[in-house]
Amino acid sequence: MKNDSPREEIAERSYVVVTTVEEAVARARELRGDYQYVAGGTDLEVHRRQELVAEHHVIDLTAIKELHAISIDGEELSIGALVTLDEIISDVVVRERVPLLATAARSVATPVIRKSATVGGNLLVKNRCTFYDQSGSWRSSIGSCLRDNGDICQVVGTDAGCYSRNVSDMAAAFIALGATIVVRDQKGEKRYDLTALYSGDGIRNHNLLENDGIILRVQVPIKPVASWYRKLRLRESLDFTSCTVAAAVDERNYIRVCINGVSMAPVLIEGDLAELSLEELHRRARRSCQTVDNDLLPLKYRREMIHIYLEEWWGSIHVDA
Amino acid sequence: MTRVVGKGIPYIDARKKATGQAMFADDYKFPNMLYVKFLRSPHPHARIVSIDTSRAEAHPGVRAVAIGRDLPLGFGVLPVSPDETAMAVEKVRYAGEIVAAVAGETEEAALEGVRLVEVRYEPIRAFLEPEDSLTECAPEEQIHEHCKNGTNIHKIASLRFNDPEAALEEAPHVRTLKFRFAGVTHAFTEPMATVATWNEDDGLVVISATQVPHYLHRTLSKILGLPLHRIRVIKPALGGGFGGKSDPFPHELITAHLAMKTGRPVKCRFSREEVFLNNHGRHPTDMTISVGCDDDGKIQALNADIVIDGGAFGSFGVVTTYYNGVLLQGPYRIDRFGFRTRRVYTNKPQCGAMRGHGAVNPRYAMEVTLDVLAHDLRIDPCDLRLGNFLPSNTLTVGQLRITSNGVKDCLLAVRERSDWDRRYGKLPFGRGLGVACGFYISGSALPIIWNRYPQTVVHLKLDFDGGVVVYSGASDIGQGSDTVLAQVVAETLGLPLERVHVKAADTRHTPVDLGSYSSRVTFMVGNAALKAAEKMKAEISRAVAREKKVPEDTIMFTNGRVVSEDGGLDLSWDDGVEIALAGRGALATSGWYISPKLGGDFKGAGAGLSPSYSFGAFISEVEVNPATGHVRVVKVWGAHDCGRALNPKAVEGQIEGCIHMGLGQALSEEMRYNAGHLLNSNFTDYRIPTALDTPEMDITIVESNDPEGPFGAKEAGEGPIHPVLPSIGNAVFDAVGVRMYELPITPDKVLAALKARKNAEQEQVS
Ligand SMILES: Cc1cc2nc3c(=O)[nH]c(=O)nc-3n(C[C@H](O)[C@H](O)[C@H](O)COP(=O)(O)OP(=O)(O)OC[C@H]3O[C@@H](n4cnc5c(N)ncnc54)[C@H](O)[C@@H]3O)c2cc1C
Ligand code: SF4
Repeated sequence: MKNDSPREEIAERSYVVVTTVEEAVARARELRGDYQYVAGGTDLEVHRRQELVAEHHVIDLTAIKELHAISIDGEELSIGALVTLDEIISDVVVRERVPLLATAARSVATPVIRKSATVGGNLLVKNRCTFYDQSGSWRSSIGSCLRDNGDICQVVGTDAGCYSRNVSDMAAAFIALGATIVVRDQKGEKRYDLTALYSGDGIRNHNLLENDGIILRVQVPIKPVASWYRKLRLRESLDFTSCTVAAAVDERNYIRVCINGVSMAPVLIEGDLAELSLEELHRRARRSCQTVDNDLLPLKYRREMIHIYLEEWWGSIHVDA
Repeated sequence: MTRVVGKGIPYIDARKKATGQAMFADDYKFPNMLYVKFLRSPHPHARIVSIDTSRAEAHPGVRAVAIGRDLPLGFGVLPVSPDETAMAVEKVRYAGEIVAAVAGETEEAALEGVRLVEVRYEPIRAFLEPEDSLTECAPEEQIHEHCKNGTNIHKIASLRFNDPEAALEEAPHVRTLKFRFAGVTHAFTEPMATVATWNEDDGLVVISATQVPHYLHRTLSKILGLPLHRIRVIKPALGGGFGGKSDPFPHELITAHLAMKTGRPVKCRFSREEVFLNNHGRHPTDMTISVGCDDDGKIQALNADIVIDGGAFGSFGVVTTYYNGVLLQGPYRIDRFGFRTRRVYTNKPQCGAMRGHGAVNPRYAMEVTLDVLAHDLRIDPCDLRLGNFLPSNTLTVGQLRITSNGVKDCLLAVRERSDWDRRYGKLPFGRGLGVACGFYISGSALPIIWNRYPQTVVHLKLDFDGGVVVYSGASDIGQGSDTVLAQVVAETLGLPLERVHVKAADTRHTPVDLGSYSSRVTFMVGNAALKAAEKMKAEISRAVAREKKVPEDTIMFTNGRVVSEDGGLDLSWDDGVEIALAGRGALATSGWYISPKLGGDFKGAGAGLSPSYSFGAFISEVEVNPATGHVRVVKVWGAHDCGRALNPKAVEGQIEGCIHMGLGQALSEEMRYNAGHLLNSNFTDYRIPTALDTPEMDITIVESNDPEGPFGAKEAGEGPIHPVLPSIGNAVFDAVGVRMYELPITPDKVLAALKARKNAEQEQVS
């Protein structure tokens, strides 16, 4: 039947549910960039309603079975991109072997949202800014901004760049754990350090996905680490982060601290514990975080909290000292 | 005996709502219905140079376009400030004000039409901070030209009794403190929606999510030029209001206008962003309060100077202006008392009435100031309050008549239940307890629009089926007023609840009620229903007495039966009904409520008058993280004197709702603007506490049995909010020793205060 029908005209708008990665990538190629992949839709749908999605087509990935699995793969835990945050929280292996991931997942959005929200979608959540995450009419009433159709950044008043904040809580945890991601695109499958996903550009938030790339899974080393997590927000649930700090110290006393929510990309500070000091942490954080006044909590307080969290964490690993 | 009053029961519409059968405004659909969408101003303050609707009109899916000129008459919920028009005429006064409306075959077509309307604006200086509105400006900059002295001051209310300034000079202990409160909004569940139909046979029918069908009825008549009898307003099931649906709104007038213009049903439904822009929430407030007391903590005088930021239009603002001051007259005896409130216009969405109307912010200031004085004098804050309460059956300094008053019982209850005496001031650093009290009106004694009618009328109809139908204009907005009416009637006639049906809030079929605001419905409509039910009882008794030859005054109605005291008569309700209806058919009775004449004869004496007042006392326990400044409310003990709990489940629900709402204003909710543009018009960024933020609650209902309330009842829907906020503020002080003079108490403010205190201490040391 299918073979007999004439080649389908591409409709003005379409929504397709694909069942394999190959099909997704093939469909993406046909649509030549004018599409969005969707997983849980909890980020994308909000943007669509705010008239922030220009693409006409949607490729729904949720029926791709192979991306739903959590498995142990040698020394690594492999988490499919379509695993929901709710599944992360309730997964026994995750809870026992990498509890930081469960803690981070539990801090995202609300229980209802977490039933749809996926790990892949979370790593790719769009950067946020008070002047951007608004309705179309609101944005045009202030004259838009650089990231939209405007000429200047409404926060800093120049055209030098966009300072929208990366707010992925899972990214902070995964990066602290030294995770990698596997991406499949038109050229094939490749593995990258998760930090490479983040461009540091407030407008074009992510790298690696230019050729219709799909995140297949996240791989996390399973090794004993002492982990720590804090998320700055007014309420115990629902709020996006105003500053997330996730930290892990492994058996060799190598530390990885990831700060997110305060800059265009997650900020990683790493090194041997013996060679670092709290002052050095503060210094590196100050140098790397380009925090501007684009969140509802005051800028001064958010900046202060980065250091308060670092100090608190530093204290926690030096209790014995 | 069947008792339906005093029993905790689910609302009579609970099942319908839980199963999705209840019809909300947006559930109504009509054949050939059009949809309306609005073009809103992008500027906070600007002159409209031109509007071109031709491209919108030419859109194939557009059926009609309306602009300000089409409905140019001024209106406002209060007849004293008709300063608003359905759409902006000549100029816009806030970013978000409706400039044009487009009715289309679909919502998308209407939206496309909206985008095709071209408006040219010439911006005018925007007034965004209340202090800027206090001073004179160029005439062309004034937000409304009726403001006096070239300012943007809308209303000044001031009352003074017994020279409070002199008393403050004499008082041995005086504290003068400044407070600042951010604006908050109602955040009800159901966004506004209105459906209007028009035809020559039925006239104009407007189904709208409103708390006050009566004022909408009147305003539609005025603005559309239709006689009142040609208009029918129906209030369907409502998803909350909290004061945010009590004004007649532009979208209701425009939807009705477009239905008349097109001859087709028209529906309007707001996005959440539009709900925020419509606002009418609590006024941002700046206030200075001075309270003086003697060595024993006895209050000698109070003086307050208050500025409230009204936004672009009047709404209930004149009432708010008075309430901010007059509702400081209780629950303490204060004989030397004064205040001045100035309400200013600014170029922001207008403020109006919100749960606890006018009294929430000043109550915070008062209760925190008392706490400071108690601390100064080393008197327990509970003891200081106990030494100052007004008694029952008294007049306040401004001649508010207090009847029943259970405030002392409230305070004693929460003091004991929270183990205050053992724990206050003794908890480890970071944990604290705080106390506060409050009182509130049980219905405004004076109607907004002066007239000779009662404030409410209730009709009852009894027919052959043995069911009693209650006809009332009262608006159940989710607070359970339909249930209260059914309970009062069922109780009086000794009937089970299912025999009583409520037909409410349909202006063509139900008698006038002034609406669900000022906590008036249980008290006033309850009294009217009681009267109507007693009349019905009397009519049935008379007929039964005549037929069965028993003395009329021995007949009782109980357990669904009509019986005599001695047991000689024992009829089923249906038999009694048959006797009563014989030869005449359906029986109708009517009851009404008119407030007694109250108050003094000075200017402003009417503000805050109520036939009765509710009272309350709350204690909160908080945990403050001194490193981050985060405040978590761990538990709240609330005691409220509602006179008599007709439905304790409902009263408890109201108190819990007040705790939740008060918690939001205290810790996280805030209307945030950037250059006049609302920044957080959604529930991600406007931070209502979530279930996880909501503390454990311990509720005590105090019953003082009001002599004039129906079965002794007073209000319970608003009064419980007032003490919540200051109890939290005071608990923060007990926890970490810093005073919070600004709401919301966000962690950055707490941290800054802790730092400031530390610096001050260090300076002292050095
Ligand atoms: C009220 C609310 C609160 C929220 N709070 C938080 C929070 O606290 N912290 C937080 O981090 N997020 C939060 N979010 C954002 C969002 O819910 C989560 O980030 C969620 O995990 C996103 O996952 P998703 O599957 O729904 O993503 P989607 O919306 O489906 O997708 C997001 C983006 O990722 C792309 N994408 C998805 N999967 C893949 C894939 N496998 N390969 C390539 N591209 C893909 C999509 O094209 C889209 O651009 C919140 C959202 C809401 C509405
Ligand atoms: S940081 Fe500036 S450019 Fe980027 S989204 Fe915000 S306002 Fe726009």
